[in-house]
Amino acid sequence: MSPLRQRRNQRGHALIELAVSAGVMVACLAGTVQFGYTFYIYNQLVTAVGNGGRYASLRTYRAGALSDVEKGKTAIRNMVVYGDTRPAPETLPQVANLRPEQVQVEWVMDESARPVAVNVSIEDYTVDAAFGMFHFTGKPAVEYPFVGRFAPGEREP
Amino acid sequence: MRVRQNSKETGFVLIAMSIAMVLLLAVMGMAFDFGRIYIARNEAQVFTDAAAMAAASKLDGTDAGLDRARQAVARLPMRWNLGTKSFTGVVVQFSPDKRSWARVTAPDNQVEITFLQAVGGPAVFTVPAHSVASAKPVRLIE
Repeated sequence: MSPLRQRRNQRGHALIELAVSAGVMVACLAGTVQFGYTFYIYNQLVTAVGNGGRYASLRTYRAGALSDVEKGKTAIRNMVVYGDTRPAPETLPQVANLRPEQVQVEWVMDESARPVAVNVSIEDYTVDAAFGMFHFTGKPAVEYPFVGRFAPGEREP
Repeated sequence: MRVRQNSKETGFVLIAMSIAMVLLLAVMGMAFDFGRIYIARNEAQVFTDAAAMAAASKLDGTDAGLDRARQAVARLPMRWNLGTKSFTGVVVQFSPDKRSWARVTAPDNQVEITFLQAVGGPAVFTVPAHSVASAKPVRLIE
């Protein structure tokens, strides 16, 4: 083989090597971005439901009317999403694209209809991580004991 | 001698690729493994926070109260490792007077390392968490 021909041959090799290695590296980088971002969001969700659960557990449980229980749940949902029970109209959620209706709040009651614990979880949340989507339902979830004041006859202010 | 020079050049891509792969593995490991470690840490902390409050709320100065506190911790449904594993080896401690505070430790949450292991990292990384809660919480929230 003449030296010139060999050179040309090598150029082809380099191209193939580049194609193969670039393919592997782009796949690895895409995976890194996808999982890294998803984990980042999941971690934020864990923090958010933890904070919401803690707030719910210390909050006064008012049940003067059915709408008061629902108002309480709305405050808890807002705490999870905005870090604030009554957020200003244009407040951005603490976790990207999280909406209050994606937060599930459920009271665990004893036989005498007193709350003993509260479950806070994320329902139907999708992470869009550029190269793929992840869907969370029922996760992350926390259960906090209820240690707040029980006021079945009071109305929400 | 051109031919000999070329034969020296072959293998360069292999070396460059292997160095790049090690770096890439390290970066992937940081994103993937550190991500899981931070989540496990956070999940464990949220669990011990809730568990300490659950335990403290049962305290009444008696041994029966301590039993109820331990049961309340065991009943908590929270999980870790992206919500898949239940907590094991949870330690519940109480104030000597059995009525003031409870401390919950989750010492044994071992995250399995995937990528960083390939570049000299450990096989598992333990992320413990502990919390203390007062039996009479100060309620600043209405």
